[in-house]
Amino acid sequence: MEIIKIIALGLVATIFIMMLKQYRPEYAIYVSLLAGAGIVLLVMDKLAGIINILSSLSNKANINSGFLGILLKITGIAFLTEFATSICKDSGEIAIANKIELGGKVIIIGMSIPIITALLELIIKILP
Amino acid sequence: MEIDLLFKIAGIGIIVAVLHQILSKAGREDQAMMVTLAGVVIVLTVVIKEISSLFSAVRTVFNL
Repeated sequence: MEIIKIIALGLVATIFIMMLKQYRPEYAIYVSLLAGAGIVLLVMDKLAGIINILSSLSNKANINSGFLGILLKITGIAFLTEFATSICKDSGEIAIANKIELGGKVIIIGMSIPIITALLELIIKILP
Repeated sequence: MEIDLLFKIAGIGIIVAVLHQILSKAGREDQAMMVTLAGVVIVLTVVIKEISSLFSAVRTVFNL
């Protein structure tokens, strides 16, 4: 039944945005921001449950939990940058959206360096 | 909880638009600008509160 709430929120927000666009275009951005935040908050607890299950499974399979933590951080950063870039693109600011995306990519690459080094060491060990 | 926030923001937007039209027609441009600024400030406080709760939720879930 959760999906109905999400659809209702999205449609109501779209209707308000169409209404507000003629008189006050800046309020359209506020309504789309609020709708996006509301929908994400609706699904956030389910996401938390999924992530807990994943981390417990990875602990059972004794995968290095450090890497899983980094992967989780990277998905979080990717999600936030996508949230911001889509809002900027909606309001027509493609340049700002690209800058935010660039920042997100740089931060993600910066965080994934330990994984890359571990992978390279593994490969070097395997090679004769 | 989110739906009535949307109604509140849309209501403020419409009221500000209508007041702006009335005041500008009545020749009081400065007061019209004041009304618009007040609307922007009110809506910004609501939006920023909601966005900060979103960021804290994301931070706790992804333990950023």
